[in-house]
Amino acid sequence: MSHSSPTTPAFRANVRAALDNTNLQAALRGQRGNFVRKRAAAREALPEFDALRDHARDIKNHTLANLDRYLEIYEKNVTESGGTVHWAETAEDARRIVLEICQSVGAKTVNKGKTMISEECGINDHLQANGITPVETDLGEYIIQLRGEAPSHILAPAIHVTVAEVEAAFRQFHDDLDPARDLSDIASLQVEARGRLRAKYFEAEVGITGANLLIAETGQSVIVTNEGNGDLSQSLPKVHIVMASLEKVVPTLEDASTVLRVLARSATGQEAAVYTTFSKGPRRAGDPDGPEQYHVVLLDNGRSGMLGTEFEEMLRCIRCGACMNHCPVYQAVGGHAYGWVYPGPMGAVLTPGLIGVEQGGQLPNASTFCGRCEAVCPMRIPLPKMMRNWREREFEKKLTPKAMRSGLGLWAWFARRPWAYRTGTRVANRVLKTLGKKGSFSSLPLAGGWTDHRDFPAPQSGGTFMDQWKAVRR
Amino acid sequence: MSGRRNILERVRRAAAVHRGDGTGADAVAERLRDRPAPVVPQQARTVGQGRVTQFLTKLEAADATVGRVSDIAELPKAIARELRKRNLPAVVRMGKDDIFQGLDWGSIEASVGVGRVEEPVTLSRAEYGLAETGTLVLVSGPENPVTLTFLGETHFVVLRESDLRSGFEDLWADFRARGLDPRTVNLVTGPSRSGDIGQTLQLGAHGPMALHVFLLD
Repeated sequence: MSHSSPTTPAFRANVRAALDNTNLQAALRGQRGNFVRKRAAAREALPEFDALRDHARDIKNHTLANLDRYLEIYEKNVTESGGTVHWAETAEDARRIVLEICQSVGAKTVNKGKTMISEECGINDHLQANGITPVETDLGEYIIQLRGEAPSHILAPAIHVTVAEVEAAFRQFHDDLDPARDLSDIASLQVEARGRLRAKYFEAEVGITGANLLIAETGQSVIVTNEGNGDLSQSLPKVHIVMASLEKVVPTLEDASTVLRVLARSATGQEAAVYTTFSKGPRRAGDPDGPEQYHVVLLDNGRSGMLGTEFEEMLRCIRCGACMNHCPVYQAVGGHAYGWVYPGPMGAVLTPGLIGVEQGGQLPNASTFCGRCEAVCPMRIPLPKMMRNWREREFEKKLTPKAMRSGLGLWAWFARRPWAYRTGTRVANRVLKTLGKKGSFSSLPLAGGWTDHRDFPAPQSGGTFMDQWKAVRR
Repeated sequence: MSGRRNILERVRRAAAVHRGDGTGADAVAERLRDRPAPVVPQQARTVGQGRVTQFLTKLEAADATVGRVSDIAELPKAIARELRKRNLPAVVRMGKDDIFQGLDWGSIEASVGVGRVEEPVTLSRAEYGLAETGTLVLVSGPENPVTLTFLGETHFVVLRESDLRSGFEDLWADFRARGLDPRTVNLVTGPSRSGDIGQTLQLGAHGPMALHVFLLD
């Protein structure tokens, strides 16, 4: 699967395949609840957590309302420190800019820290097509690069891969190593990957990282990691390219600190990630290490079109992954079903914004509207509300399937006529009660999507809600 | 440059929705001048002995270890003890920080320079420690090359107790007061780790497998 061609329009088929994929289901079961427990504990340990969320939301709202000014100030400060800002309107522009920089130093190998923007722009495929080898250095990204896959989680890209599958991939691709070597535990797998990648860090001419934040006041870019791969990728090669989207900018170091305080806790439940690195420009006179060139590719790719609209609040997102960690839909189908870079609730809102409602419009339909995503979002993004907005747009554009449209029409007819609605539900209630004597259905016509995975409860005695309501009031 | 112009134009048009009254420029200048920080958590406001205790507690919670050194001249001996205890070779790689000048390394093979591909033991001085999260703050330069922080299999870090700060706010205030503006600022909270295989946390992903802090009185 490559991100240059989203499979988002095939979301329904993707979901069905994901639910039937026993390996994927095992991997999802294995991690279920981990992120949730850790975040809850981190939140519990910080009394000011919710106040920080409010403040973080206000910081981003202020920044977005003045985004043009902060971008100009940021650019000025990067330039003064000897770096270069490249403005990329589209993914295609970003690919061209990155390739030109790589070619200007005759790059053969490019090391990459984890960057979702690079996935969004299809940088790897483009470099490869032009004879440059991209090497993913984040352990999870490395694993899926070997397997020829895209990330299935913005934080834990290989969350869908079981330990046995990692071992199989290492045995297949590290074929110069002793086939009889012991890879029976996670530690030995990690040590082997560490050894492979350590050598690669010294080979690359260019290192590409993402950015969790850009700071206008100082012209710094910030990366947050636990492995240290991003730092090695940006410190050892001649050239460091930062790929960041417009909305990553915040005004000051204090504002960055507030975002950092909610980011790690929401993401992994850590108070602070192991490495938070602030970078500014190329190496200075006297610096014994660090890149000789520092470039920032500032990507729009549809974001400016969300500004000033009902979807603007999505641009507050700091990519912590809490929404997908708490989402019953994501937890059931994993990230690949979403068909593009951004899965889960944030993906369901962002994807139609970036690739169009025609291609991404199915994602906002995959929601139970349980509201957990909004409840845990550190930036207080009203994700369910925005999914409803996309549904409306999809309906207005007549993109919803005919059966659904006529079904909704039928429902609307009844909903506008209470007498018909009540009669209808009363009849349905009696029929289901008579048929479902066991208390539940293990299969129902037209409801296989539900009953394949869990029983459907049969109505209990007492009639419809309205009947019961009247009886109680009497 | 048309990309720049087009993007800024679109952003400006959209931003006009928010600031019809045209006060935006003042609000931006004001924010950059005042740098408001209305919510500073209690754990970023510790002082005195409480600050030291919290720093050490959080450092250890992040899987780092710590030892005390009363005088910098004692550092080589303290390092020799740690190397023996950890069964490591008697080598250490460091930068040109003043604090390491003139130390008697005895039987330890001490070399100065950037990090190399195999680096069993590296040594840095942290510019600050943050009690808020048990974090070391390192700044790049010839004194403490940034690669030593990431390439050492075991990373030793010296921190003066007087360089402890409570939280981000007093840290950045100090940076500004001193005009400290290095190419990179590295905040380090424990040794490197990854949960990417089997979603089980393992120390020593690409960076150090162990982080040990020598807190200098």
